Amino acid sequence: MASILLRASLLLAVLLPIPVLFGEFTAYQIGLYLIYGIAAQGIGFLWGKTGVLPLGQAIFFGISAYAGAMSLRFADGLALQLAAAAAIILLLSSAAFVVAFLIFRGRSESGPFFSLITLALAMIAEQTAGTATEFTGGFNGFSGFASIGGLDPFGNLYYVIAAAAVGMSLLLFAINRSPANLIVRAVADNEPRLQLLGYPTHAVKSLAFAFSAASAALAGILFASHQGIVTPTSTGFALSAELVILTAIGGRFHVLGPLIGAVVVGWASAELRFNFPYWELIMAAAFIIVVLRAPGGIAELLDNSFMRFAPNSPRDESARKDAPMPQGRRVAGSLEFDNVHLQAGVVRILNGISFKTPDTGIISVIGPNGAGKTSALNAITGHLRLTSGRIRFVGDRIDSLPPWQALNCGIGRKLQVPSVFKSMSVMENIAVSMLAGRASWTDYFRTRAFAWRSEELSRVLNRRGVPLKNSMEKQVGTLPQGHRQFLEFAMAIASGPSLLLLDEPCAGLSPEETALMSSLIREFQENSGGLVIVIEHDMSIVEATSDKVLVLHQGEVLAFDSYEAVRNDPNVMAVYAGSTK
Amino acid sequence: MSLALILNLAWHVGTLALVALGLAIIFGKLRIMNMAHGEFVMIGAYSPVITSSMGLPAWLQLPVCLLTVGLVALVVERAVVCRLYGRMFDSLLATWGISILLREAIELIFGRGYQSVSLPIPGTIQILGSGYPAYRIAIIACIALGFALLAWWNSRSMVATRIKAMVENPGLAQAVGIDTGRLSRWAFVFGCCTAGLAGLALAPTIRIEPMMGLDYLIKSFFALVVGGLGSLEGLGLGAGIIAGTQSLIGAAFNQTYGYLAVLSLSILFLWLKPDGIHSASR
Repeated sequence: MASILLRASLLLAVLLPIPVLFGEFTAYQIGLYLIYGIAAQGIGFLWGKTGVLPLGQAIFFGISAYAGAMSLRFADGLALQLAAAAAIILLLSSAAFVVAFLIFRGRSESGPFFSLITLALAMIAEQTAGTATEFTGGFNGFSGFASIGGLDPFGNLYYVIAAAAVGMSLLLFAINRSPANLIVRAVADNEPRLQLLGYPTHAVKSLAFAFSAASAALAGILFASHQGIVTPTSTGFALSAELVILTAIGGRFHVLGPLIGAVVVGWASAELRFNFPYWELIMAAAFIIVVLRAPGGIAELLDNSFMRFAPNSPRDESARKDAPMPQGRRVAGSLEFDNVHLQAGVVRILNGISFKTPDTGIISVIGPNGAGKTSALNAITGHLRLTSGRIRFVGDRIDSLPPWQALNCGIGRKLQVPSVFKSMSVMENIAVSMLAGRASWTDYFRTRAFAWRSEELSRVLNRRGVPLKNSMEKQVGTLPQGHRQFLEFAMAIASGPSLLLLDEPCAGLSPEETALMSSLIREFQENSGGLVIVIEHDMSIVEATSDKVLVLHQGEVLAFDSYEAVRNDPNVMAVYAGSTK
Repeated sequence: MSLALILNLAWHVGTLALVALGLAIIFGKLRIMNMAHGEFVMIGAYSPVITSSMGLPAWLQLPVCLLTVGLVALVVERAVVCRLYGRMFDSLLATWGISILLREAIELIFGRGYQSVSLPIPGTIQILGSGYPAYRIAIIACIALGFALLAWWNSRSMVATRIKAMVENPGLAQAVGIDTGRLSRWAFVFGCCTAGLAGLALAPTIRIEPMMGLDYLIKSFFALVVGGLGSLEGLGLGAGIIAGTQSLIGAAFNQTYGYLAVLSLSILFLWLKPDGIHSASR
């Protein structure tokens, strides 16, 4: 907390003396750049963390500026004006949430389609603002209103803007330190994994978009007061583009980056635009170089040189707290496939699978490549829609639920190719999995949730031979494949699932590691008393761990029995040893 | 529907299809979101201005256009775009910077004002009793012929398959003997040159200015989104729907409504059917 306040006070100390030191006109100019910077901070938050690139932030900026200007013309008294401003910001960010929610629902990526939609919306807004002359004044602009609270745009208004910039930065610094930050970053890193940890990622992205819209709306309100006129360009494509450029050049991964970018670019352009005809060329070239060579922008360069003097101290490892109990259901029970058919185009993947597992134990799923093993797991977690049939777990249908609800039903899953958050450290990965299904709304904004540990997780982490404890600070992208297998296993069991799905957990492991993994699986099942389903090719592991074996072949159940019975089944032998005829 | 309206529609659809063709290759095949595409149209449209300012005869407009646009595209590909394959978002941002760069460069050379170019084929042709500009009919015919040739060539050539292989797995493509650097370079230059040609064809019928590219970029992006990437049929369909919507609603109400209709239609497609109507890729 202290460091956040320190940084915010430093920012305040830089911004406050500007009118005194450089005069009121410079302060007026810096005020405008800070306004753009606040909007850009919202873009930096959204784009830098979730990877969603908004190309139409001027929609919120411009509409808010128009609405703010109208409220200033008609509302008397500071209280009423402030209430109107708050209402405008709230309305616009709710609208942003709804739009993003509708667009992102049912998808697990943030491809360029969203950016293009925001771009088209900005163009519609600009066109409408230019045509609806009676409301907006058309291309002449909307003017004839005093600034908020009657402040002088060349005088005291600067301090309001500076306060807004500091307040915004303070908020962003606080979010950066909170568990919420991990969740937003996890969206950009590995959305499917985050869904399996129980997060409706479309809602997370929509919330981040709503936040960025709120910051653009705040900037728009200040803009109206500052400029005394609002024109259609303030809601258009060109401004949206410029805000993104400011964000990129300043640095989208840092709280202060967009502010720095807005002030540096704004100041340099004001100084050079009229004296130096090649200024715009240089700006464009700088932008291209940033994209190609320095995606972290100015802030990253500053940060790197600063870090050399003040290296990051690792977090204290000793203070671990017990995590709250997971929400949702954790009841052991049987998994039942009832005549499940699955078809993708002309390819028939599952052809009428029916089986019912016992309530507890370890079930191995074996079968040749293409038998439908992974597809069966995908059907359980809702990644594939059934063509027909039912899947029940503890008596309830689960086949039509989206993947992010699997965890709530008590299902944990490890994917075939280790799927973890590569840009994060081991500790952060574990923190995300500990939050999953346990954190309440307020926990996402309290740092103590970082220290949560569950019994299941501690047992794995403290087990001799598990290679995670000594590399907690390491970025997961640098870990070898085997270590990632253990990490993903730890993350899959962190929520204490009553049905654990493991897709080839021992792939890429050494014989010692394989033995360790098998015993971890065994132990987890014994301690939880739940059901574990393992896809495995190695028959020695199958023999050592399984209570029952499910044999799939060409999308059908070939056998479902004990290991001994399955091994002596003539049908199974025919498939594995070639035709006996 | 009068004949003039139909010919107008053919003109708008044809020129949009030509503009979007280059983007279909660069965005659809190379997976580069080329935000500078409109600027290549713009440079193509400036090529008559360049030709006359160099004192060259008018018949050299076509070679001047291809040479200028091709050279600029080659430099852009070598300097920037070749580092962006497989980085879709970065390609969007970097080519955006390129679009600003090209706009500003043209503005520094020719100024911000409008330029106009005289029609190379003056007069009108009488068809079924109504007159229509001869130049536009000639261009429509050329575009139709060009696309027919392209479809014929595309059906027998392996280039499209090679490009697909290269984009999906550059390492493997190299291993089976595809010179990926050369292939992507010339695919990019070819795409930009078709945009330049479209600019040249449009030049006598529009006001030429440095900012003109954005409109063409947006419309061709939307044509691709609506039609679907990866096939000439999708391209034609998308261009038909976008240009058709704009010119029909524009004619029935006014240009603003036409523009708003195109934007709304595109949003609906991006939201509900992001793969477009006729998607051949995947």
